[in-house]
Amino acid sequence: MNGQFEDRWKQYRWRLIRGEPVAAAVNHAIDEVLTRRVGAGEREPTLRFWDRLQPEVVIGRFQSVRNEVDELAARELDIPITRRITGGGAMYVEVPNVITYSLYVPPDLVAGLSFVESYAFLDDWVIRALRSLGINAWYEPINDITSSGGKIGGAAQARRFGAILHHTTMSYDINSDRMLQVLRIGKEKLSDKGIASAAKRVGPIRLQTQLPRQTIIERMIEEFADSYGVVDDTLSEDEDVAATNLASNKFGTDEWTFAIP
Amino acid sequence: MHGEYKTPGGKLVVADLDVLDGKIVGPVISGDFFLEPPEALTQITHALEQLPANSNEEEIAAAIRAAVEPGVEMIGFSPEAVARAVRRAVE
Repeated sequence: MNGQFEDRWKQYRWRLIRGEPVAAAVNHAIDEVLTRRVGAGEREPTLRFWDRLQPEVVIGRFQSVRNEVDELAARELDIPITRRITGGGAMYVEVPNVITYSLYVPPDLVAGLSFVESYAFLDDWVIRALRSLGINAWYEPINDITSSGGKIGGAAQARRFGAILHHTTMSYDINSDRMLQVLRIGKEKLSDKGIASAAKRVGPIRLQTQLPRQTIIERMIEEFADSYGVVDDTLSEDEDVAATNLASNKFGTDEWTFAIP
Repeated sequence: MHGEYKTPGGKLVVADLDVLDGKIVGPVISGDFFLEPPEALTQITHALEQLPANSNEEEIAAAIRAAVEPGVEMIGFSPEAVARAVRRAVE
């Protein structure tokens, strides 16, 4: 991406939140709360790394639970199903096997870029961080981070509440058996990928570098800080309360999760 | 009835619907696409409701295009992709 756009990152006073492990519904609620706060000018643009209490099946805003998830298997394994506020696809997430982060940014940062261009633009620092660790990574439009070893991660955006939420989940490791147990992965979805197995498409970071998960995260933060500057931050008490409420009133409810059954 | 269409280089569109008296009823469109604002999904399904089940792809796409308000962004899919998923469900 050219320098004119790249320089825009530096006009903000970025905040970094290293998230506490919270329940699935709370993580999604934090995304909405922080997007609203940035949109309302009540919070500086923020980068948040997620932590989780438990495994989770996450589906996109517009996906059908029935089409994507084996609900019986998820229930038997006691794995909650949550619906994001962003589009994109279903994921099975285990705490030590993924790295998830969210950016909450003002629309100005990506003004003049198309939706598709903005995905690559907002994840460019991650590509740089991965490459600095010896991983041959690049962006594959619309929203994939991929590599010579396979797909590493996927991003999703929502443009709402006066701001942009851009969040990305990357595979550090993978539990293919469990993933195939809880997710339904149809043939049509893979029809233009030329690869028969969804598990084979994934190229977790751990297969490409021996470094621990936390080292990858620290390198990412370092890359972001060196490029754009960032100040450590936490959720305010007020944001924390708002997220807890939103988790119980929205993201934790069947009404939301089964909005498209 | 169920139909799926994967937009080449883009996203999957899934159509679930019934046909009653030759018309589409209760259509549900889902998939891993991106749509802004999300409420536009209702405009898309409203456009499909009561459409003749023998409508061809162009007619279905035109109905969606006409119903979607200006400023709506369909990312990774299109009215044509929805139309194809709907045709596959009906057939």
